[in-house]
Amino acid sequence: MKGMSMKLVLRDAGIGIALLLLIVFFSLSTEHFLTPNNISNILTQITINLILAIGMTFVILIGGIDLSVGSMLAFCAVVAGTVLTIPDLSVFVAVGLATLAAIGTGVVCGFLNGWISAFWGLPSFIVTLGMLNIARGAALQVTDARTIYSFPQSFNAFGSQMVFGVPVVFLIALALVAVAWFVLSKTVFGRLLYGIGNNEEAVRLAGHSLMVYKVAAFTIAGALVGIAAMVYMARLNIASPIIGIGFELNAIAAVIIGGTSLSGGRGTVIGTLLGACIIGVLANGLILFGLSDFMRQMITGVVIILAVIIDKYRERITAA
Amino acid sequence: MTHSHSGAAHRTVAEGAHAPVLELHDVRKRFGGTVALNGVTLSVAPGEVHGLIGENGAGKSTLIKILCGIVKPDSGAIRLAGENYEPQTPRDAKARGLQVVHQEFNLLPFLSVAENIFIEHLPRNLFGVVKRDEMNAGARKALDAIGLKDVDVRWPVERLGIAHRQLVEVARALMTDSRVLILDEPTATLTSRETDRLFTIIDDLRSRGVSVIFVSHHLDEIFRICDRVTVLRNGETVFSRPIGETSHDELVRGMVGQQLQKEMASDTISSAGTETVLSLVNFRHTQSPHVDGISLDLHRGEILGIAGLVGSGRTELLRAIFAAEPPLSGTILRGGKPAVFRSPREAIQSGIGFVTEDRKEEGLILTMPIAANVSLASLSSVSRLGLLDRTMENAMTEKLGSDLKLKYGGPSKQAATLSGGNQQKVVLAKWLARNPQILLLDEPTRGVDVGAKAEIYALIRRFAEKGLALLVVSSELPELMTLCDRIMVMSQHRIVGELPRADFSEEKILTYAYQGERRQTGH
Repeated sequence: MKGMSMKLVLRDAGIGIALLLLIVFFSLSTEHFLTPNNISNILTQITINLILAIGMTFVILIGGIDLSVGSMLAFCAVVAGTVLTIPDLSVFVAVGLATLAAIGTGVVCGFLNGWISAFWGLPSFIVTLGMLNIARGAALQVTDARTIYSFPQSFNAFGSQMVFGVPVVFLIALALVAVAWFVLSKTVFGRLLYGIGNNEEAVRLAGHSLMVYKVAAFTIAGALVGIAAMVYMARLNIASPIIGIGFELNAIAAVIIGGTSLSGGRGTVIGTLLGACIIGVLANGLILFGLSDFMRQMITGVVIILAVIIDKYRERITAA
Repeated sequence: MTHSHSGAAHRTVAEGAHAPVLELHDVRKRFGGTVALNGVTLSVAPGEVHGLIGENGAGKSTLIKILCGIVKPDSGAIRLAGENYEPQTPRDAKARGLQVVHQEFNLLPFLSVAENIFIEHLPRNLFGVVKRDEMNAGARKALDAIGLKDVDVRWPVERLGIAHRQLVEVARALMTDSRVLILDEPTATLTSRETDRLFTIIDDLRSRGVSVIFVSHHLDEIFRICDRVTVLRNGETVFSRPIGETSHDELVRGMVGQQLQKEMASDTISSAGTETVLSLVNFRHTQSPHVDGISLDLHRGEILGIAGLVGSGRTELLRAIFAAEPPLSGTILRGGKPAVFRSPREAIQSGIGFVTEDRKEEGLILTMPIAANVSLASLSSVSRLGLLDRTMENAMTEKLGSDLKLKYGGPSKQAATLSGGNQQKVVLAKWLARNPQILLLDEPTRGVDVGAKAEIYALIRRFAEKGLALLVVSSELPELMTLCDRIMVMSQHRIVGELPRADFSEEKILTYAYQGERRQTGH
């Protein structure tokens, strides 16, 4: 794998350099960017998007897309929030059950996404567009459109816990990146996901069940939405049926900026990590720079398009 | 191999002609560090059918790309009809009267045949609305002109078989008046009957004074249709001669640079055993129209060939055996015991491998490393508890690579970096890694150059000697006749004839193949 991984390293290095340049630029041009406080602020802000983007990487690698993660996040959160606020449960039990409930809800939704699109051979774009509405509706229905709050004190405290100035929730996200990297690059399962993204038919005719791997990719994405929902609740101390709107697009942006090909088969989760960092640094830096929210949104949009254009050229370089 | 067809009548046209219509002088082209063309000199007379041959990588594709304005040469001169010719775009090339029918199809599958033919200049009225009647009538005329009467111009191209699509491409190229028509391996997907049809069209063009550059891997076709032939090797013109002054052997020597064809012609001792490893009894797939289906026996160490025209159901049969498409009815016996395969996975587990017709779409993951392609069907033997062991995977690749004489940069290089022949060896390696008992081969040497072809033949024979049973589908009769112990001829999804090696002849095979056709159209 030497030649291949060298090239992959170079590709990732390009994204890393872009991130570094952004950091240098904002450090020099604004006063507060490189302060410990601001750094931990950025890390906290990118955590949720990063966790969602890890799952999105699996889905995009097999040539799929998941538009439902934002709605699923809300659905997972209100289910978990309901469990968490059951009276008379000890904090440990309540948090444990709520985590299971969040991940379980995500797994069920993700499984349905994968199974429906694989079994009927439907584009995942359409199936997850359906799920986007189903999960949002379900979240509103379950809560009667009300927000759930008053979670246990210690749970809320966990959300803003720091270790040496680094938010614990970000460390969790980093651990998930490490696990995903291991699965994608070291296991047979990961190899076949790349294979499916590159040439589904060749993988099928080599005796592998496409169904299993496609469903698994969407299910993993669902499980990660569950984890992201718990992080969201711990950070903001609420679970509301209207949270997470548009989160799927940020997750997709992180994956694409990170160099994963939208047509599948190419990309790494390390790239996704860097992609999420770029979005986070950009958002934070532009605020410090004194730009309006609207300007910020426009610039983020430009960066997404730029990333895809750069990727086109990178593709040519790796192909040569 | 009939030399008579390119008869004197045609040649006089070519020889009697005056100035050449197309002239290339010392054309050179580099891509980065690779020299693609290293001095090509070529001259085509008006009304001449000019064969262009050479192994894969000899520079044919680059030459065609230069002629049709996709690639610009680094140096050298090209003249078309006496004037300097430097096309900047394919549009320029067309405007100057040079048309190319490419190897890869450029048709739009969901548009109608007529729309495809007229795509560049759709007839429309004042409001930009397409004049459908005029377009359909024009397309009808174009198809009739090349004898494609059995195709309705309103059909979507999707409905046509690969051979008909090729002919529609030809019809489209002929829509505009052209001086030079380049056909890039037009017969690769055609059966002999369709090839005949194409050759009639070429004959007609020749008599109208259009020059045709005919690129082909098939030397017998070159002898049948061409007036002159040019051999390329490593980007250079080796020689260019009138067809009557050269021979089959000389052309092969020119292409390969050494006498490799001995291996191809060598007589083989059959290694077919008596033990039946696979039987089909009234086996049918969903497209098979006959209740009786297909019945056959394949023995250990045997190479059984399946001949037939395009559309006779050869590929479908292999795909159904492998359960790539679900079979409909009938029985498969594996080593005497009934077997039901519900997916390729189950067929593979029972010891069957399948080298598909379309290497790039179905056989390989081009963008992934060679090692990943070799191990694709046997991942469990290069992993533990779901963890890949790259060392084992590379060792497997290197071992099979040396067994098959694979020429490659290393296990981590992309499969796309290999030549056609070496790509095919990777596909073979993928199956050999599983130690199969049966190998299904669909067009095993399609798009493979002459030298690699000989090597693949030798490999296939060696597999058979070791006891592997092989079922080979091929449109090239010499290929089947070189390789097989026995040939079955298919027509309209059934077996219409069977020949033991002693009785092999192209004539007999074709007689069977066409008989079946006629019987079908009779009722």
